[in-house]
Amino acid sequence: MAGAIKKGSVVVSVGTKKGGFIFHSPDRRKWTMAGPYVPGATVYHFILDPRDGRTAYAAAPHGSEPWGPAVYRGRAGESLKATAHAPKFKDGSGLAVTRVWHLEPGPADEPETIYAGVEPAALFRSEDRGETWGDIDALNYHPTRKDWQPGFGGLCLHSVLVDPRKPRHLLAGISSVGTFESKDGGRSWTTENRGVRAEFMPNKYPEWGQCVHKLTWDGSGDGSIFQQNHCGTYHRGPDGGAWTEVTKGLPSDFGFPIAADPNRKHTAFVTPLIGGENRVFPKGQMAVWKTANAGKSWRRETKGLPANAFMGVLREGMSTDPEDPIGIYVGTNTGQLFASRDEGESWKMIANFLAPILSVNAGVAK
Amino acid sequence: MRIPPALRSYTRGQDEVVLEASDLNAMLRALESSFPGIRDRVVDEAGTRRPYVNVFVNEELVMTPLGEVALMPGDVVHILPSVAGG
Repeated sequence: MAGAIKKGSVVVSVGTKKGGFIFHSPDRRKWTMAGPYVPGATVYHFILDPRDGRTAYAAAPHGSEPWGPAVYRGRAGESLKATAHAPKFKDGSGLAVTRVWHLEPGPADEPETIYAGVEPAALFRSEDRGETWGDIDALNYHPTRKDWQPGFGGLCLHSVLVDPRKPRHLLAGISSVGTFESKDGGRSWTTENRGVRAEFMPNKYPEWGQCVHKLTWDGSGDGSIFQQNHCGTYHRGPDGGAWTEVTKGLPSDFGFPIAADPNRKHTAFVTPLIGGENRVFPKGQMAVWKTANAGKSWRRETKGLPANAFMGVLREGMSTDPEDPIGIYVGTNTGQLFASRDEGESWKMIANFLAPILSVNAGVAK
Repeated sequence: MRIPPALRSYTRGQDEVVLEASDLNAMLRALESSFPGIRDRVVDEAGTRRPYVNVFVNEELVMTPLGEVALMPGDVVHILPSVAGG
């Protein structure tokens, strides 16, 4: 571990197969690395809570793999400690949590609330900063659950969106089940997959069964959403309803992460890969593709990104900071971390020789 | 009962605790009541022993469900991660 994090610094929290790391910088030019946190453990997700800009959360096994899943918490830049309890299903459910995939801070006015998406797919909510967890019954024991099928990475709930305008409005993404939406704080859920392809199903447009890979809010702030799917890239407008496929202009309909510019409407970034078994950058050229019009057109950005790079980016591997202009951060499954401070036009590698990167999360220290 | 290093954060650093229990399941419940959260590290919420977690009674590896293993006064129980390597 190295150095205190100055207020106002951009903090990039990186989860790897061998611990979590923090890269922080007051100017996004010179970065200081700190860590490892939860050393040696597979850190599936590592975040800075944007509500206070100080608290870090990590999803990782307890100490090492055999001891089951855990959630860690601490002050960013200092040691993390496992919370008292990890998410777990109700007694008698016959289900058991094997991994915590995703941690999502709750609404701004509930600073102790945090959500966890887990494998096998389920959503949990903690109202005491991860010390104890409650089952979101209506989703976790949804009538369709008996027919849910895992994606290649397992049956995981990996995307959670909490609407900053209406905190009871939630969305959850499950591979390969699709997107669910709740407008009543999780008491009831609807499938929201209209217009989303499922090429691996007899019916290409089922009500559910799609392989959503990642969901993110559009920076428009009006409730619009971007989705990267196993079968295409999508945008859904502020009134909900069917998704619009916006894959045209991209080199592939396959990719994992999607990250939005939080300050600019309809602006997002994706990292298309050759799908679905190869999962590397097309022609070995690492590229980030940007749209500024909700996917109507895409622009390929490669300046500073490597060629002869037969690697990929995993589901949580890309994030944007809230600065103006935003910074964008991409971690590869071969252990490189790239950053752009000009909205994706040029890139610089800020770390190499990490273990495979599983998650990247950018924020600002307060 | 011998506590492995990875779980001593629950036992406030103790490497050994003495418990009264008639079988291994009861022993884990007794352990949990003294050190909340520790049982979840050994078994999941469905009551299944976690993969790669081994339980020994008097140095004999337990291969049966934990509730079927009766304990006698003086038994020594070890919980250890398996090597799980290659």
